[in-house]
Amino acid sequence: MTTSTVLAAAGDVSGGEEITFWILAPLALIGAIGMVAARNAVHSALWLVLTMLCLGVFYVLQAGPFIGMVQIIVYTGAIMMLFLFVLMLVGRDASDSLIETLRGQRVAAIVLGLGFAGLVGGALYRAMDGTTAVGLEQANAEGNVQGIARLLFTKYVFAFELTSALLITAAVGAMVLAHIERRKQDKVDQPSTMRARFAPGNYPGPKPGPGVFATSSSVATPARLPDGRLTERSTPDILPVRELTAQETSLKGTDQ
Amino acid sequence: MTELKLPSLDYAALAPILIMLGAALVGVLVEAFVPRRSRHVVQLTLALLAVLAALTMVVLNADDRLITAGQAISVDGPTLFLQGAILVLAAMALLLIGDRSVERGGAFVAQAAVTAESADDRRQAEGRNGLTEIYPLTTFAIGGMLIFVAANDLLTMFIALEVFSLPLYLLCALARRRRLLSQEAAMKYFLLGAYASAFFLFGVALIYGFTSGIPGRGAGVDFSTINAAVTESPTSPVLLFAGMALLAIGLLFKAAAAPFHVWTPDVYQGAPTPVTGFMAACTKVAAFGALLRVFHVAFAGAAWDFTPVLGAVAVLTMLVGAVLAVTQTDIKRLLAYSSIANAGYLLVGVLSPSRDGLSGTMFYLVAYGFSVLAAFAVVTLVRDADGEATHLSRWAGLGRRSPFYAGLFTFILLAFAGIPLTSGFTSKFAIFGPALDGGQAWLVIAGVLTSMVLAFPYLRVVVMMWLSEPGESTPTVTVPGGLTSAALMIGVLATLVLGVAPAPLLDLATGAADFVR
Repeated sequence: MTTSTVLAAAGDVSGGEEITFWILAPLALIGAIGMVAARNAVHSALWLVLTMLCLGVFYVLQAGPFIGMVQIIVYTGAIMMLFLFVLMLVGRDASDSLIETLRGQRVAAIVLGLGFAGLVGGALYRAMDGTTAVGLEQANAEGNVQGIARLLFTKYVFAFELTSALLITAAVGAMVLAHIERRKQDKVDQPSTMRARFAPGNYPGPKPGPGVFATSSSVATPARLPDGRLTERSTPDILPVRELTAQETSLKGTDQ
Repeated sequence: MTELKLPSLDYAALAPILIMLGAALVGVLVEAFVPRRSRHVVQLTLALLAVLAALTMVVLNADDRLITAGQAISVDGPTLFLQGAILVLAAMALLLIGDRSVERGGAFVAQAAVTAESADDRRQAEGRNGLTEIYPLTTFAIGGMLIFVAANDLLTMFIALEVFSLPLYLLCALARRRRLLSQEAAMKYFLLGAYASAFFLFGVALIYGFTSGIPGRGAGVDFSTINAAVTESPTSPVLLFAGMALLAIGLLFKAAAAPFHVWTPDVYQGAPTPVTGFMAACTKVAAFGALLRVFHVAFAGAAWDFTPVLGAVAVLTMLVGAVLAVTQTDIKRLLAYSSIANAGYLLVGVLSPSRDGLSGTMFYLVAYGFSVLAAFAVVTLVRDADGEATHLSRWAGLGRRSPFYAGLFTFILLAFAGIPLTSGFTSKFAIFGPALDGGQAWLVIAGVLTSMVLAFPYLRVVVMMWLSEPGESTPTVTVPGGLTSAALMIGVLATLVLGVAPAPLLDLATGAADFVR
């Protein structure tokens, strides 16, 4: 038996366990609330790390050293750090918009959330009060990891194998949603770029800049060619070509 | 340390599941090794053959009544019937998914990572062939559904739930047209689905706690243990009720029952129409298969406790579905609300404790699946230059433009409305009859009243199609290729046959309506 098993197998909650719980439980709660309340995504992720670490310690404390370590190493160490990488890549400046699309949604969500937490918490407290925990010694009889292995490879072997389908789906899904395939004809080398540039019908010089006139400095205003025509080549593709109205070209009275 | 002994796996009984998952794996390999131009044909053939092989195995297993893989999988009458139903409906859905004649390149986007509405996106929408990864994803989803209706413990059920949900979230995001709507739908479905899964898992934990302490039996989440715990457990029943409620939330979310239905209209509207049909038919079968097993096998002893609550959910679902369907202006949203209302009727069936109630529910699932797939098949056909014309005003006068397809759609809508000589009538009868015998008259009254309300939006579409003049903007009905035609015809014929001669399928359902415990 490992030391942690001894801790919990004693039946009553020991002093050390109680102290650890009362220190870490508020921290875990603060982390969870901070994760939801933080506006910056990176802060959210770090709050979540705090909660996960606290939970990991709880698991160890309750004689589940394996799941506790997995929680810390895999969840907190690997997955959350990967998550942080992604956040940093996407841009850590992005923060949540505070505009509510549904009015009163936030207040309603907080009230209902507190109500639900109170309901479940209260019911569970009443239900579990006075219950003595059973089965821990049998579960950890051969050691914690061996106990888990026994369950995984006997009773839940089918479920365990099934998770592979989940992982494959996730990998295929990530490829489908994130990968852009460059086809052979999309890859252009320098000679073919040059050939295309000087091909008949193409204008090899730089494109004219947008029209900056006394009356407008918008990039959406097309430039004028020497013959007075407007050219669409001077404005970005995504902007609609905008010709100046008579009112806009008239003097604004600022030149006096 | 004692030796680990692998539980015996009955491979013949598990064959349908293994075939579908294996085909999905082969499909992933096909993506890697088969040249691009032949992938579509290979993938579609592979998926259809796998469904056919799995269906054959289901038929061969027809007399199995056993629990295998430890306590994880039970292969019994309802499992086999529902697995068969899922496979037949999935084959139809695959025909719709595989069709590339209605729209050039199919209903799916060529590269999902290209920014929606960009120049590249417009170029790929023109006619580049759609993704072929959809076939392995669909096959995985079908495999997950087969496990979901067979799962005999809550943990396997949870993983099966994820196995069939995850591909569906992905498939929703892959529409060729209106991609932002499609991506929003997938996002909503994913977030809410993850939330519902969390509820389910929380419920499993509470139920596990509840099963501890029965004399002579270890704690566990397999259904026989739970069944025993319901009567014998010394633990406080609060755990049972809370766990049951949380489990029900997870399952009712998938079944699209109110108040867990809010995702349905958005997702049904945003997802590519073949996928919407797949979800409406197969997900419903899977979700109700699991609901039936959980409440008839695991919680059978607590029927007095859950019946009033689920009954209230059923009435609310019927009301929400029927009343909100009246106000819809989009055909896909209308069908979504109709699917919500149908979830309410199915819940009535779940609450009939008798054998007839069970067989009626299973019959209803099959009949509804055929009709709804045919309905979405028609929706894929009514289109203009921008893709499908789903706004109801655009359907005005369609009967004059193309009387054949408008006629088929009218027939399907009449089936939804429950007019005699259609499967809608016989299936409603099969559900309401046992409920009345089981003393659930209030549910039947609510069901009949909401059916009458629900008939209004269906008939409004019928009137609009036939009695309005076709306008400038009335779209044309594309003449479908072989695959969509086949799916449409199977759906319509099944709706007719199950309405005129329901006896063979009803007998099959009644023969199968017995859970192995």
